[in-house]
Amino acid sequence: MSQRIDPRLMAEGRRTRGVLYFAIGLGVSAALLVILQAILLAHVVRDVAFGHANLAAVAPLLWALAGLFVLRAGLSYASEIVAFKASGGIKSYLRETLLSHILKLGPVPAADEQSADLAGTMIEGIEALEPYFSRYVPQMALVVAVPLAILALVFPVDWISGLILLGAGPLIPLFMVFVGYRAEAINQRQWQKLLLMSAHFLDVMQGLTTLKLFGRARDEIGIVARISDDYRKTTMAGLRVAFLTSAVLEFFASLAIALVAVIFGSRLLHGTIDFYPAFLVLLLAPEYFVPLRGLSTHYHARMSAIAAARRMFDVLDMPLAAAGTALLPQMSAVDIVCEDLQFGYGAGEPVLDGLSCSFQAGQITAIVGASGVGKTSLARLLLKFAAPAQGRIIINGTLDLATVAPESWWQNLAWVPQNPRLFHGSIAANIRLGNPAADDAAVREAAKRARALEFIEAQPQGFETMIGDLGQGLSGGQIQRIALARAFLKDPKLLILDEATANLDLESEALVLEAIAELAVGRTVIVIAHRMAMAERADNVLVLETGRVAAFGPPAQLRDVDGAYARLLQAYEAETSEAALCV
Amino acid sequence: MRIIWRLLVLFGRDAGWMTGGILLASLTILANFGLMTLSGWFLASAAIAGLAGFAAQNAFNFFSPAAGVRFFATIRVLSRYVERLVTHEATFRLLATLRVWFYTKLEPLAPAALQGYRAGDLLSRIVADIDTLNLFYLRVYVPFLAAGFAALVMVGFFGLFSGPAALALAVGLAVTGLAVPMLTQRRGNAAGAEINALNAQMRMEMLDAIQGMGELLTYNAAPVLQGRVAGLNGRLIGRQAEMSAITGMGMAASGLLGNLTMLAVVMAATIKVSAGTLGAADLPLLALGSMAAFEAVAPLPSALQYLGQIRAAAVRIFELTDQQPTIAPPPSPAPEPVNFDLDLRGVKLRYEDNAAWALDGLDLHIPQGSRIGLQGSTGAGKSTLINLLLRFYDYQDGTVSFGGVDLRAFSSEAIAAYLSVISQRSYLFHTTIRDNLLLAKGDASAADLWHALEVAQLADFVRAQPLGLDTIVGEAGVRLSGGQARRVAIARAVLKDTPWLILDEPTEGLDPLTEQAFLRDLKPVLAGKTVLYITHRAAGLALMDRIYRLDSGKIT
Ligand SMILES: Nc1ncnc2c1ncn2[C@@H]1O[C@H](COP(=O)(O)OP(=O)(O)OP(=O)(O)O)[C@@H](O)[C@H]1O
Ligand SMILES: [Mg+2]
Repeated sequence: MSQRIDPRLMAEGRRTRGVLYFAIGLGVSAALLVILQAILLAHVVRDVAFGHANLAAVAPLLWALAGLFVLRAGLSYASEIVAFKASGGIKSYLRETLLSHILKLGPVPAADEQSADLAGTMIEGIEALEPYFSRYVPQMALVVAVPLAILALVFPVDWISGLILLGAGPLIPLFMVFVGYRAEAINQRQWQKLLLMSAHFLDVMQGLTTLKLFGRARDEIGIVARISDDYRKTTMAGLRVAFLTSAVLEFFASLAIALVAVIFGSRLLHGTIDFYPAFLVLLLAPEYFVPLRGLSTHYHARMSAIAAARRMFDVLDMPLAAAGTALLPQMSAVDIVCEDLQFGYGAGEPVLDGLSCSFQAGQITAIVGASGVGKTSLARLLLKFAAPAQGRIIINGTLDLATVAPESWWQNLAWVPQNPRLFHGSIAANIRLGNPAADDAAVREAAKRARALEFIEAQPQGFETMIGDLGQGLSGGQIQRIALARAFLKDPKLLILDEATANLDLESEALVLEAIAELAVGRTVIVIAHRMAMAERADNVLVLETGRVAAFGPPAQLRDVDGAYARLLQAYEAETSEAALCV
Repeated sequence: MRIIWRLLVLFGRDAGWMTGGILLASLTILANFGLMTLSGWFLASAAIAGLAGFAAQNAFNFFSPAAGVRFFATIRVLSRYVERLVTHEATFRLLATLRVWFYTKLEPLAPAALQGYRAGDLLSRIVADIDTLNLFYLRVYVPFLAAGFAALVMVGFFGLFSGPAALALAVGLAVTGLAVPMLTQRRGNAAGAEINALNAQMRMEMLDAIQGMGELLTYNAAPVLQGRVAGLNGRLIGRQAEMSAITGMGMAASGLLGNLTMLAVVMAATIKVSAGTLGAADLPLLALGSMAAFEAVAPLPSALQYLGQIRAAAVRIFELTDQQPTIAPPPSPAPEPVNFDLDLRGVKLRYEDNAAWALDGLDLHIPQGSRIGLQGSTGAGKSTLINLLLRFYDYQDGTVSFGGVDLRAFSSEAIAAYLSVISQRSYLFHTTIRDNLLLAKGDASAADLWHALEVAQLADFVRAQPLGLDTIVGEAGVRLSGGQARRVAIARAVLKDTPWLILDEPTEGLDPLTEQAFLRDLKPVLAGKTVLYITHRAAGLALMDRIYRLDSGKIT
């Protein structure tokens, strides 16, 4: 499994290859200086302990040592900085790519993902790659270079200990590969748990009020405890393997060092060897294992990185629908014809099944139909958030929407969804979303047309009133009207409104409908409506039933035919007369 | 410092694990120290004995030091392994404890006191900031105490051989373990403090990007957001680069200091050896010992640089947990209402001081079993009334009694046992339809669930789904159509089956035919309940006994 991820990560690493090599070079030189240092130190100790040298005699050596120390410190500082530089570049690049890929996927595929999961991948996930590039990759180079250099030095000095070191060395990577397989699955699971936990907490934070409404907020304490505990258990399972690997490595390392020491001890005792080589090898033996031990530590980092990277690559591998590249010409009006559209979500039943219809410039077309019949789905196709499985959408008689670049299409339209999203910021900033340069007068005018001006001005800070996430602090009707103002400000050729007057009282509804009618002059307006008041004012009504068009025509005409529209209207009028009864 | 102290108090809950971690960490350091000193001494002594001739060779006790070397080596491996297990176990236990503690503090704050916070920000606090707090134990607390304890032992041991060598070691350890960390801490403060905030901001942008993607794309606002994310990322990388420079410095400094100390120790020992006041074999002992001793302090400089980040995370956490809920929890146990009458007299409520009154002298009497329709235009205070009844917001003036008991005696949890609300913004959790329904009534039978779905006119849809009740609704219900999501929320409230039912625009987003069918099926559900039906439209009011109009916070 990992075989696939490592090369891909390394391919990403190629982006900052120069810096990466430099970091490796620095690390290797610092490690090689350790060998030099050991030689000098061994000389000093031998001269003092056995050669009866005094401080003055060994002073030059000591100075050389001090110089080496400073040099090493400088190298280690530099290698740290350079290693970060390499990984920093990769992180920035991947964040940018990931975000733009997610945005290119569009809202419909993104709806199948959990936003906290994606955010976690983007933040913690990419962060987890850093040690891969700044530690693991350089360490790989050290693991080869340093033990070889030490062996090259030790063998001529004393071949017995050379053999011991040589024997112990390769055991370590072997063992790690062996353990790695198990650890990899555990790491994968841990990473999934982390993202799951994130997603769950976001769900809870967003739904906390609902939880309280049902008196269930305190039950969540137990769930938080369980999830956190679950996370602890999987993480610990991963760490236990990692620690065990390290422990076994340490064991080998210690065993080898102890063996070298004991063998030397007996040989020294019998005078078959000098103190100098023995002490030198004893100094070098731990250094021989340092990179190997480091590798085991960073091997864990590698596996975390791979687990995180796998999720990241999964997202990056989600196929983009062929987006189309044609730029729309300047259009004075937008006519839309839909031919035989087929569409469904995932592998589910088709939602739209052979739907054909048209929307004419300068007219308001209302789409009505039972809840769940596919009105919003049709809007998504018109918005190019999804592509029809079959059929075409033709713009102005000639252009196939599938070939048009999405940005170019979106420039011509405004859309108010069923649950508009307001962003954290001021009311004015929210209205200006599509038009940051709009002046205050234009913003006011748009708000006025959306019948939002009155309540906005009633706020203590007026247009500068801050609104929370998801429009916290505003009522449903107020959110709706700000979203409408946003669309009006854009002054588009094509306006798509999904339940634009939901949550409005009758009076505001009438006023908003009027504003929409004003706007419709010369423009194409598509409104999805449950309230028949809206449909009744439209030029044409499109009635959907089980994925097809059940009726199409001016409302006055449809009213008189005994069909789907008449039934909806009857139900609606019955309701209105109920009201007449009461008030 | 006060913040750090508060952290320590929080950590007190897992004290056993924590102390164990510290002891094991010290043991590991000392075992390594033992291994290195003994090896150095052993080799040199063996060499000296070897040189001294046959008699000395025979007199030399070869086996005890050799066994000692093996002993220390084994202890080091074992204690390192156990130490890491214990400290990490402690860490993750602590994490769990902290998350639960945080949530427990957070929950009473919703929704009023959390108004100004964004969900993504709260998420960052409960996930990332608490993770950061944890660094404190693993990277700062344990290494420091363990190093301190081990340093005393090691310096003391050196003192047995040479005063100056011991002094050199003590100074070296103190500088590396105290002075340098203080420096890195100071330098890392600003950068560390900003890192968490930048991450949190980036997370909020990401959530906006995903949840508001449709708007961002069609309004061409996505490039702006991408620009902001790139900016945040740039700042983050910059700050991290600062941190890595400090890490590099800390590591270089601790390496250099360790080596220089060793040099000083060697010099001090050399003088004594030359003077004949110290055995020759003690020189390698001290040299290797001083190298090993630095294993204790080497990680400290780079650990302490995170203190700023840890403190910033703690501030973000405590900032929330120190908030007082807008409604102080009433003394338990919850009162027993004698009936389900509701009586409001002269009630005034506003959301902020100085703001206009949302309810302005509201008088309303709803006797048990009555069905009241409440009409009013947007902003008339209908939703405020619900907020008041649910005890989400407190009223400033007037009296409210529920079942003859002052409403203030109820917590929102207690009152939720009597009221169900179908509200305008009911949140669907990212799980199955079944689990979303069970939220209302954990022990509901399948028949209950289906009945609720029938009333909500959703049963046919659910039946037609391949997974039926186990269909996943998506985040906030995105995988359902608007009306379907609405109907899941309706079914959930129907399922709850409480004496009171509050309907707040229940049929918004339903087509007229579905609406009609729903109102028809709602009728039997209302039997015997006290109903408050809030709407600005007419549908459903025929089911009510009385209709009031709410206007500017008053009944008219
Ligand atoms: N993102 C999605 N993933 C899977 N299924 C979906 C998704 N969005 C909608 N559906 C399903 O597609 C069908 C049509 O949904 P759509 O939102 O188009 O209905 P609608 O006509 O707009 O209904 P409403 O009036 O309730 O808003 C429904 O059965 C719905 O459950
Ligand atoms: Mg819809």
